Amino acid sequence: MTDSADRSLPSWASPDTPETNEEALKALQTYRKKDGDKVIVRFKAVGNAPIMKQNFFKITSSNRFQAVIQFLRKELGYKGSESLHTYINLAFSPAPDDTVANLFKSFQTDNHLIVNYSTTAAWG
Amino acid sequence: MSTYGTTRHHHSPAANYSNRDRVTDYHTTLFRRLTWDGTVPLEIRVDPKELPANSDRNLECYFVQAPRVSYLPLLMPEIRRFFMDLVFDETVAKDIKDDEWWFETAEGTLVKWHWPVGLIYDNHTISASLKPSTSRSSANVTPLRLILHLASPPNDKLLLSPSPDACKQAFMGQLKEADFIRWGSTKRMTGLRQQDQDGLWEGIKEHNFDDYWRVASKVTPTTAPTRAQSPAPPPSSASMVNRPPSADPGGPSERDGAYNVRSIPVRLYLPDGPVIQDLVPPMADDNTPRTLSHYLTDHIPLLFPAPPPAPPPSRTNLHPRPPPVPRPAYALVQGIVMPSETEMAWLGGCLAGADGWVNVCIGINSQHS
Repeated sequence: MTDSADRSLPSWASPDTPETNEEALKALQTYRKKDGDKVIVRFKAVGNAPIMKQNFFKITSSNRFQAVIQFLRKELGYKGSESLHTYINLAFSPAPDDTVANLFKSFQTDNHLIVNYSTTAAWG
Repeated sequence: MSTYGTTRHHHSPAANYSNRDRVTDYHTTLFRRLTWDGTVPLEIRVDPKELPANSDRNLECYFVQAPRVSYLPLLMPEIRRFFMDLVFDETVAKDIKDDEWWFETAEGTLVKWHWPVGLIYDNHTISASLKPSTSRSSANVTPLRLILHLASPPNDKLLLSPSPDACKQAFMGQLKEADFIRWGSTKRMTGLRQQDQDGLWEGIKEHNFDDYWRVASKVTPTTAPTRAQSPAPPPSSASMVNRPPSADPGGPSERDGAYNVRSIPVRLYLPDGPVIQDLVPPMADDNTPRTLSHYLTDHIPLLFPAPPPAPPPSRTNLHPRPPPVPRPAYALVQGIVMPSETEMAWLGGCLAGADGWVNVCIGINSQHS
């Protein structure tokens, strides 16, 4: 086995120092931190949905989409269970636990995230 | 019958084309079949504090080997039957409302209705990787222990009702989101007849590979044979978007191939931590296919630092390798540790879940004494 000196050891065989795991845990802490960054969300009414006076809002990016839906309902004065459907880019409804940060990174146009809303199911 | 000049195959002679295409299709199909057939063991027991009076405590646990691509709401009928018919006392069972049932892991993590079973399992695996293990052997596959609660579901955190219909809506939503990630529109999904769209969910419900892929193959890119030479489609090629892939006589068009997408639908799960989603183009800046190593170094460099360059060749060592780096973490896709040179586009075509998404779960390597 002439090349054994060059071959990397599998992780379970390498001499792990306790610090390796500590570093990993510290790294995770860094990635868990929620910065207060905000992104611009632009709401666009579809069909007969009520129009708002103000359409652009800065929303904390670590919020889940569920929080955006609740914010929109509040802005529209919706109570209880009146149906409100929301879509990104007139194309799809995101999972309610998708974060605004992730949706913004994946779907933003002109530096804002377009959220369409309608009273009836438009794009399923 | 010249075969040169089409986009499907640049340098392979016509005589070899169909063989190579079949081999590639076989390769893709093989991995899709393996993914589809993947299962995980679940061990379900009712919270002892909620177990109704006179329940048969000898049968307190329901074991199921569940498909990775399935969903808990689809497993509910058999779970319900077990507990209602065999465990709970008849008179008590009458009053139990099963639409209030919900699940937690044994460690107290809420289980979401809209996550595929395989993701629930892998997410638990990486969460467990944070805890010191007593006798952890990577050869053992341990069942995921779930606690079934019978009342007071935390709806604000569950976010979805447990009904199969809500689950289907969420599933279709994920397919459309994946479609948009790949192509910048959902035309391929919405271009399917309603019957076909419903057929995708039926395939999941019945756990039928052929039924599911009969439709899914129209919208899921495959890994084409001559991907490295394929030209990127012009951005305004409306004709490409409108033409259904199945219209191609020889097989999926390369322009719809996995290496020509705008971005691969992939999410990164950190243990007990955030989910990261971002645009992931199939090619890296140096025009080589983007690998898992590239992707992980881009997004979580503290856990996957960029490998240092190899030392320059010397007389005694003509092909030096870069020095090994400690690897504090590993990446799981479909429960398997992925090699760092895996291409992201390949994952998108071959190892994605039934909802179109590649879920990369990051675990921490255990210390050893």
